[in-house]
Amino acid sequence: MEIRRQGERLGRPRVATLYVGGGTPSLLEPPEVARLGTSLHQSFDLRPAEATVEANPATLDRARLESWAAVGITRLSLGAQSMSAAGLRALGRTHQTEDIAPAAAAARSVGFDVNLDLIFGWPGQTAEAWREDLAAAVALGPDHLSCYPLELALEPEEAVANWPGAGWRSVERWRQRTATSQPDDAGIAGLYELAERVLGQHSYRHYEIANWARPGKRCRHNLGYWRNGDWLGVGAGAHSHLEGVRSRDPGVLPAYIAAIERDDERIVDAAADTAVDTAMLALRLDDGLDLVRYGSRFGQDAAARVRTALCSLDGMRLVRWSGERVRLTSRGRLLANEVFVRLLPDDAHVSTSV
Amino acid sequence: MSDPQTRIRNFCVIAHVDHGKTTLSDRLIELTGTVALRQMREQLLDSMELEREHGVTIKARAVRMAWTGRDGEIYELNLIDTPGHVDFNYEVSRSLAACEGALLLVDASQGIEAQTLANAYLAIEQGLEVIPVINKIDLPSIDLDVVREDLRTTLGFKDEEILLASGKTGQGVPDLLHAIVERVPPPKGDPSAPLRALIFDSHYDTYKGVVAHVRVVDGLLTADDRILPMATQKPSEMLELGVFTPEPRPVARLAAGEVGYAATGLKAVADCRVGDTLTLESRPAESPLPGYRPAKPMVFAGFYPQRSEDYPSLRDALEKLRLNDASLIYEPETSQALGFGFRCGFLGLFHLEIIQQRLEREYDMDLIATSPSVEYRVIAQKGDEIAVDNPAMLPDPGTIVEIREPWMKTTLITPTNYVGPIMDLAQGKRGTLLDMSYVDPTRAMLKYDMPLSEVIVDFYDQLKSRSQGYASLDYEFAEYRAADLVRLDILVASTLVDALSVIVHRDKAQHIGRLLVSKLRGLIPKQMFDVRIQAAIGGKIIASENVSAKRKDVIAKCYGGDITRKKKLLEKQKEGKKRMKMVGSVEIPQEAFLAVLRIKDEP
Repeated sequence: MEIRRQGERLGRPRVATLYVGGGTPSLLEPPEVARLGTSLHQSFDLRPAEATVEANPATLDRARLESWAAVGITRLSLGAQSMSAAGLRALGRTHQTEDIAPAAAAARSVGFDVNLDLIFGWPGQTAEAWREDLAAAVALGPDHLSCYPLELALEPEEAVANWPGAGWRSVERWRQRTATSQPDDAGIAGLYELAERVLGQHSYRHYEIANWARPGKRCRHNLGYWRNGDWLGVGAGAHSHLEGVRSRDPGVLPAYIAAIERDDERIVDAAADTAVDTAMLALRLDDGLDLVRYGSRFGQDAAARVRTALCSLDGMRLVRWSGERVRLTSRGRLLANEVFVRLLPDDAHVSTSV
Repeated sequence: MSDPQTRIRNFCVIAHVDHGKTTLSDRLIELTGTVALRQMREQLLDSMELEREHGVTIKARAVRMAWTGRDGEIYELNLIDTPGHVDFNYEVSRSLAACEGALLLVDASQGIEAQTLANAYLAIEQGLEVIPVINKIDLPSIDLDVVREDLRTTLGFKDEEILLASGKTGQGVPDLLHAIVERVPPPKGDPSAPLRALIFDSHYDTYKGVVAHVRVVDGLLTADDRILPMATQKPSEMLELGVFTPEPRPVARLAAGEVGYAATGLKAVADCRVGDTLTLESRPAESPLPGYRPAKPMVFAGFYPQRSEDYPSLRDALEKLRLNDASLIYEPETSQALGFGFRCGFLGLFHLEIIQQRLEREYDMDLIATSPSVEYRVIAQKGDEIAVDNPAMLPDPGTIVEIREPWMKTTLITPTNYVGPIMDLAQGKRGTLLDMSYVDPTRAMLKYDMPLSEVIVDFYDQLKSRSQGYASLDYEFAEYRAADLVRLDILVASTLVDALSVIVHRDKAQHIGRLLVSKLRGLIPKQMFDVRIQAAIGGKIIASENVSAKRKDVIAKCYGGDITRKKKLLEKQKEGKKRMKMVGSVEIPQEAFLAVLRIKDEP
């Protein structure tokens, strides 16, 4: 219903990229995939240059993949997480290492590009184990790799309510237990640098903090986020960024369904600041931030503010300038928050209570 | 008609904290019909919220009561309240000086405590008639004989002198009032001499200015007089003369022997100090009453606002507190680490705590208080003597011949089974045992000489915890003594953090240095570079720790909705940075200062 309504509201716009993810869309049965495809094509002018679906390696079969190909999907993002049994156990994943290669091969056979998601920094992971993981992943010949450090300290999100029963509590317990035996920050930094070296040797371009791609295989959809473009998100907790306004749907399922049935307005993020967001997002990319273009888009004052903030980092080896273009160094990627924090305006909308 | 002075009795009640002074005072007021029952507020004499919480009286008040003696005459009884804490010894002594008699209150279940003794001796020295009263006799399972023995052994009272009472039930209170009439002598002032009135307390009133609580010793004070405090020499037109019943009630005159108040119209209590003598501008007395001395601060600390923009509010708050508290002194001070603040002087640690709490509660200030310090006397090579109350101000050790510190005569009373742990504690605090005796078979009295700097750091809390709350403490200044003292500095990334410098005994420097450094290591967040934390004495490093550089601080996953969600984390991080203090190039959270300054001197 939301797809149809948003399509009407926006006047059946042209859609350049599509991403089906969050949860495990690969669980959908082929008829459901077909219905989703029909609904999307009816509501949007859908001729995507890139259309990705996320998948758990254990849930894929040929029939499902063909049903996705039939609705225009071009790319599969496989949640491999680790290529080793020890890693999958430590991460509490239910799929098996043996599931991964066949899933990637099946995706190839229907003509999809393949991305592998990997997680590092799990309890007990050594540099050697990570090197083996990377080698096994590279051996599958993916077009794209995303590598994330295992983050356990994030605040619970709205989606907590969607966990069945006491699900979130057991996840919390697992998080706490795991956090105590995880490598420390210095260890994780070492693993990250190892990934940079290994993937670089295999000609993957490190084009975003956590993303590597073969030439021409950067994820166009995600580049849209980092270039602060427009996108529409549908589903519980989905965010959108349309004409400079950030908004989202309610994250808790019953609230989401009720909001869609009532045709509520989406929840607007009033704190969004396009100029600041654009600068922070651009720095995530290896292209970095071009202050000349930035200045012509947001004005010279905004560009001067960014320059001053970044110049305050001189001597810390976090950013590298080439003319008016500024990029994060390898060290800067690991300490990117230190850079981003300085880009925030001084009157940030946060409570000042002590 | 006989001399009116013969029917006046001025007395006070002295007791240890919690021995029931306030409840008994309430009962006296109630029984003499001074306040109708329905008007009785519990604990009439304590008016400030903090006093209630601490269970002690900070500001003395005086109440006039009428009582018909066994001889049928009506007597005017003036009950002068006394502060109940060791920091206010001088105020106690001035209250005593306004009286001819004192009720010495001893809790039937606790017996004599260190402070009871100290105040009883003070009263006896000043020639007061002391009436011993065992209070709280309504309590179950008490042994009156043991308490009687306390009173016999320590103060030489005879059993027949000792009265029994219960402030709670009122039992024995009429006998107490009769005893005051019969045993306490009437005042003996000269009604025709020039006015001499002792100021035994004062407080600031928004409408009436400084209200002085006075005992007229000689002469006559009338409502139209122009008065003159003899020490400060600031004459003023009185706004009102009156007595407390306990509500203030204006009167036309106060004659020799009487107790009341004078609303002076003066702007600050510092102009009209406790212990000073009021006389008349038109006919001044030749000499003031003896015993006046200006309040002398013994304990010092820097008070800094947590937010630098609150500095003016802190100054205003201190100004207001000083209106009512002549013993509080302060002056502006700057710290590289903490910014602009004030060096404050207090009568003692308890006084410091009260002021700090009042600033926090009544004036809503968020404070950082530096470690309390005493006033050191530094003898320089040139022979001059410098007073130093802020460790950061200690001169270069090379120029110092000697550092002297204040020592206190300390009296401890404890049940005998805690003597061992308490002696260990006192020894760890550099105490010298002077004398040990027994108050009764179960309780010992220990007398120590001890440096004040040791008494003010965690001694009282330790004493209480080692004796399960039973030991009591009293101390008074003895003398300045030379000691092997050094300034312990803390350096963060080679920058001296002035607010964390402390003056310590050389034997303890190593231990305290290690403690501070390791505590700081856990409190200073990782920076973009390695940070060395060091403790040093005169440039020599005695302890060192390292906070390794931050290696990873990144939100790796950032797609779609993460942009909104994770920006909130960054904003929190930025807000955290704002609340840090920069020391050199290192960001130190305020919590680190607060935690380090709260460090206890664990032996």
